[in-house]
Amino acid sequence: MLPSIMENTTDDYRIQSFDLDTQMLLKTALKDPSSVNLEKVSDIIMDQSLKDQVFSKEAGRICYTIVQAEAKQNNGNVFRRNLLNRLQQEFKNREETRGRSLQEWVCYVSFICNIFDYLKVNNMPMVALVHPVYDCLIRLAQPDALMNEEEVDCLVLQLHRIGEQLEKVNSPRMDELFFLLRDGFLLQEGLTSMARLLLLEILEFRAGGWLLSSTAHKYYYSEIAD
Amino acid sequence: MSDWTRGRRSDSHSSKPENRKRGVDGSLRANRETGGSGRENGGHTDGSYRYSEKRHASFTTPESTGPVSRCSRPADWGSQVDDDEMRRDVHRDMQRRRILGAEVTQRERKTSSGSSESCDSREGENMETDEAVLLRRQKQINYGKNTLAYDRYTKEVPKHMRQPGVHPKTPNKFRKYSRRSWDQQIKLWKVKLHAWDPPTEDGQDKVLDIEELDLGDVMDIELDFPTLPDSQNASLPARSLSLEGEDCSGTPVKVQKTETTVEPDMA
Repeated sequence: MLPSIMENTTDDYRIQSFDLDTQMLLKTALKDPSSVNLEKVSDIIMDQSLKDQVFSKEAGRICYTIVQAEAKQNNGNVFRRNLLNRLQQEFKNREETRGRSLQEWVCYVSFICNIFDYLKVNNMPMVALVHPVYDCLIRLAQPDALMNEEEVDCLVLQLHRIGEQLEKVNSPRMDELFFLLRDGFLLQEGLTSMARLLLLEILEFRAGGWLLSSTAHKYYYSEIAD
Repeated sequence: MSDWTRGRRSDSHSSKPENRKRGVDGSLRANRETGGSGRENGGHTDGSYRYSEKRHASFTTPESTGPVSRCSRPADWGSQVDDDEMRRDVHRDMQRRRILGAEVTQRERKTSSGSSESCDSREGENMETDEAVLLRRQKQINYGKNTLAYDRYTKEVPKHMRQPGVHPKTPNKFRKYSRRSWDQQIKLWKVKLHAWDPPTEDGQDKVLDIEELDLGDVMDIELDFPTLPDSQNASLPARSLSLEGEDCSGTPVKVQKTETTVEPDMA
């Protein structure tokens, strides 16, 4: 493969943070999945997602490609199955993770939401992930979490990306989440102004049908240098 | 099995002999129907695919050492997603069959016989539509297809080169068959597929044994099994599988031998 093509793959899948050997392994997994240990690959991806903020938000794409490649090559689903089961394990331990490291917790939420976004089954979201994703977002909307900008930021990012899809598959839980967000915005003392801004924006975003009106966009984003 | 269930296996021996049923979390289950509380996901349901509200989500069997969940909703995400995917595939197949089945019927009536089995299930008439049955059958088919043998077979023999009787053909899940008949077809299909097993290091023994059975002569799985009651249907294939081949006296080989002589090496 030409060096330039290799570089594109690194960029596309955001795997710059891996050491070169691992990058090679991942690239091989994309091209020839049956030649690598896919359980190991999924573990590597999972572990890195918990440590690397950037990767956790984009890892869905490489996972999707590997899943497709494996299915096409030999109708297998070793990678997907192992990935999901790791996700499930981490989900069970999420409260403990949050207690130990906010960063890791936030990375986990980004990762599971990104997987939800990318890994569709026959173009439908994976039903098994719907409630767990909601559980995570609702956790982020709890009073203690709203006090941390990191968690609020994570929450609104996920809602921007997958809020509309989530609402489609389960609207009552989205209502449940937004009750918490309204309460948080209105009643929570000690919120930073950034947190309040983020909450207000997401409330408007959903109210607008998961779209920000151009005037609202101007309000929230015009201060950002073009 | 998820780690969760595995961890509970040591708990399987109940101190109450009259109530051995345990939920998937290991807790003893009362004998009454549990309905919604029997769900395995901590009460989270998404309204899709309820096998039956009244059935326990798990049960103990003599063979298992712990609670065994029904296949309706496994606890681990990997299996759940696999099942969802299979369910969607089956639904898509059903839609396809409904549309294409009607079309083909008209064409088939004009041409002579020799139709491939997959076109035979006429829409509405004798098509199997029970979701639970279709899913179970699809699962069985998937077990057969997710093998190296099937992989090698499909690569070696493209569809248009397949000869009925010689080459294994996937049983048609949309046809009406009794449970026994279907299970038998699956079994025979998988046996036939073994001919394409990858060569093993310890010689070709395994493959040769299967070929000796020569089921091609004795049993043609493309034949239409009529929808007879279970007992009538099952007895035919069972007899034919006797290793004595065409004899079909119905008496199993071992019984015959012990009736005549007692040989030292029979001990």
